[in-house]
Amino acid sequence: MFTNLYQLNLKWIIRDRVLQALVGVALLLLVLVPAFSVLSMRQVQELSITLSLSFISFVLALLAILLGASSVWRDIEKRYTSAVLTLPYSRGSYLLGKFFAIAVCLVCSAAIFTLVAAVAISFSSGLYQSSLPIRWLHIFTAVAFDVLKYVLLVAIAILFSSISTSFFLPIFGTISLLLAGNASQEVFEYLTKDSVGVKTAKPLLYAAKGIYYLIPNLGAFNFKVSAIYPVALSSQGVIYTLLYFLVYTTIILYLAVYFFSRREFP
Amino acid sequence: MKALEITGLSKIYKTKKAGVVNALSDLNLVISSGEVFGFLGPNGAGKSTTIKAIMGLIKPSKGDALIAGVPASDPHSRLNIGYLPENPSFYDFLTGREYLYFIGTSFHMADNLLKSRTNEVLDKMELSLAADRPIRGYSKGMVQRLGLAQALLHDPEIYILDEPMSGLDPLGRALVKNLIKELKAHGKTIFFSTHITADVEAVCDRVGIIVNGELRAVDKVESILEKGITGYNIHVRTGGDISLFSGFDFTERDSGILEFYTSRALFKQFMEIVVHANCEVDLVEPVRKNIESFFLELVEKR
Amino acid sequence: MIRKVLFIALLGSYVAVIVPFSSYLGNRSIVNKLGYMPEAEIVKFALGDLRYLASQWAVFKVMLYFGGMVDNDINKLKLPPEYPGMSRMISNAVRLDPYNMDAYYLAQATFVWDVKDSAKEINKLLIYGMRYRTWDYYLPFFAGFNSAYFLHDYNSAAEFMKKAAELSGDPLFTTLSARYFHEAGRTELGIMFIDSMEHSAKDEKVRTSYHTRKEALLNAQKITDAVNRYREKQNVDPNTIEELISKGFLNKVPVDPYGGKFYLSKNGRVESTSKFAFGGQSR
Ligand SMILES: Nc1ncnc2c1ncn2[C@@H]1O[C@H](COP(=O)(O)OP(=O)(O)O)[C@@H](O)[C@H]1O
Ligand SMILES: [Mg+2]
Repeated sequence: MFTNLYQLNLKWIIRDRVLQALVGVALLLLVLVPAFSVLSMRQVQELSITLSLSFISFVLALLAILLGASSVWRDIEKRYTSAVLTLPYSRGSYLLGKFFAIAVCLVCSAAIFTLVAAVAISFSSGLYQSSLPIRWLHIFTAVAFDVLKYVLLVAIAILFSSISTSFFLPIFGTISLLLAGNASQEVFEYLTKDSVGVKTAKPLLYAAKGIYYLIPNLGAFNFKVSAIYPVALSSQGVIYTLLYFLVYTTIILYLAVYFFSRREFP
Repeated sequence: MKALEITGLSKIYKTKKAGVVNALSDLNLVISSGEVFGFLGPNGAGKSTTIKAIMGLIKPSKGDALIAGVPASDPHSRLNIGYLPENPSFYDFLTGREYLYFIGTSFHMADNLLKSRTNEVLDKMELSLAADRPIRGYSKGMVQRLGLAQALLHDPEIYILDEPMSGLDPLGRALVKNLIKELKAHGKTIFFSTHITADVEAVCDRVGIIVNGELRAVDKVESILEKGITGYNIHVRTGGDISLFSGFDFTERDSGILEFYTSRALFKQFMEIVVHANCEVDLVEPVRKNIESFFLELVEKR
Repeated sequence: MIRKVLFIALLGSYVAVIVPFSSYLGNRSIVNKLGYMPEAEIVKFALGDLRYLASQWAVFKVMLYFGGMVDNDINKLKLPPEYPGMSRMISNAVRLDPYNMDAYYLAQATFVWDVKDSAKEINKLLIYGMRYRTWDYYLPFFAGFNSAYFLHDYNSAAEFMKKAAELSGDPLFTTLSARYFHEAGRTELGIMFIDSMEHSAKDEKVRTSYHTRKEALLNAQKITDAVNRYREKQNVDPNTIEELISKGFLNKVPVDPYGGKFYLSKNGRVESTSKFAFGGQSR
């Protein structure tokens, strides 16, 4: 029943030529990783890992924002809603079908990219001996958390789409939250550091705390440092971030379904 | 059995530009099972608003709608409905057949039944040739026929069709009329909206006339037609003596036939004269207003 | 009803997760907090004009964690500083935006003092910046100071100062000739530099860090003065600071604001266990 909607949306993503183009460009760029990496004479391996992770992150961000923000909007804009929302589905399964289809698309794209990146990294590191071993587990963890981060972002895009009629709120709202979410930890620490450096006014401090706990903490999903440099992976960090992802995404989807169920499609 | 039960349904749209729009006020309507109901009204009367409320697309400001006893807000209420939206638009990256597959699985149809039904409805809607092309390339009429096909696919008991004839050529309109008659013969319930009176006359059991969001009249099509009789044309063969008929207008025909017109009120009196004069009656034909004039009267009456 | 309960349960779990989660985030090591930034060339390529923002963001991050180090020092917390990560960020920042003055300023305010033997690298960075900020006298001024104070290359220092003088039109710089550098004491030179920097510092944390350093240098200077007087009077070098006090050359042991203890090294120079650096003791 629900899988039906989910398959429908997967079909939509696959038939969308934008996606193919994006995947093509991404694959091309990943193949170019070794070529770029040799530009750095000293740290070919580090650079190839950095490059690969950056590309994967960049493409996943694009996919998450474009697919997440456009999926519901397009159905409304092209008036598909009057046909599909009048089928015996709840509004919730309609929305979750979209969410899971896009999430699966992100996971699959990331898997393909990682595979290609692994080849590119192995090849590049063979060109110039590095003093550091390649820690594949750390690299895969970094990509996995990147995927989780963008899955969360898809949920946010869907929440915005569920309350907005325009394309702008989902797109720009999601992009703003992506930027803010990446920075929230730093800004929060800067403002709340009880130090001589910053004297934050009390109301501003409360506002900062409120915003910090409200918006997604996307910076936490960044495990790239331990994939690139010899820094230990914190198992505590992995577990907390995973839990945070689950709870936060569930809340966002809950709200999206709540608002979407109350929405009218005249 | 009540297929549809609408009580006190009202809808007020609040818009920034147009302000408050009373799209529908206090609509009460019961459609019983097996009935073909025509929902007739001019553009902007509130027909689509009613249908959207039944289909759960919009929330009524007041009142509610039950589909076979289940509230419209419950998605299960739609399991037994075939719905054709107004100016439909379907996922255009799918082919017609794929779309029907999606619809069929949405209604839990078994795979082999779904396959045979798909071919059946495509055939019926004359879409077999286009079935494997993406909907993106369909013409307006083809999309409309696909809309009917997807409404028919799971063989529901109740059909809710918003302007099913719009966008179709005369052949298509005839196709739809025959389809409705066929469904009626199979005991299905059909609720359809239209602004064309001839469609109502052709296929409906009952008609509801809505103007400016208010239901002005609900009646059997037969009885509207019957009530609409204003007088009769009567062809009489007289022996030549026409003095008895003084006071009635007539025109004389070549073959000694007199063509009378009597108003409804004087018909009995006229017929008594006929009997008295021992004339031969060739033809009695009621003269009536059609649904169109009935409709126009209602629309113009404020 | 069920939905309400579900939602409240969700919010409850959010609170339950967010507390340990944010405390874990707050306690991450600086290298993790700084995160990784892709090579400047890639960021440039991906971000286009946004790279100026990225450059500033990198500086902000370094500033934030440098500030964190200042705080930790004040609060007597011991966290090993993460200089390689911070210097990576700064070098990325100037490659993204070679005009980014904050990056040069921050490099001059932090690494050159706190990281041993970094003056050469920093001067390279400053020379790179001079190619772009051709009007700016700060860069040659920094480079000149580094050459004199850290590298003892007084001729280059005088060259840089001459350039700074030309650009600023300030007569102060012209007095900073090679001869001056030879004659002035090292501590005095440091104080002179810090004095001018402290006034121009915009960021409060940087100012604090300068202030602390000046205090340390001034206190060290007090001891150095006492040592010099001792030498003059006694014709020998003092062995300890306590000796200076017991013989009346100093009333009390000046405090090292970095939390270290002053001592006299073998050749009679004033040093501190803190090495005059944040987190110096733990290194
Ligand atoms: N989304 C909307 N916002 C405001 N007014 C609307 C909206 N949809 C319909 N209306 C108004 O409600 C009235 C009924 O519309 P509708 O039910 O679509 O008429 P029709 O009988 O032609 O299907 C019209 O006056 C229309 O302008
Ligand atoms: Mg309509």
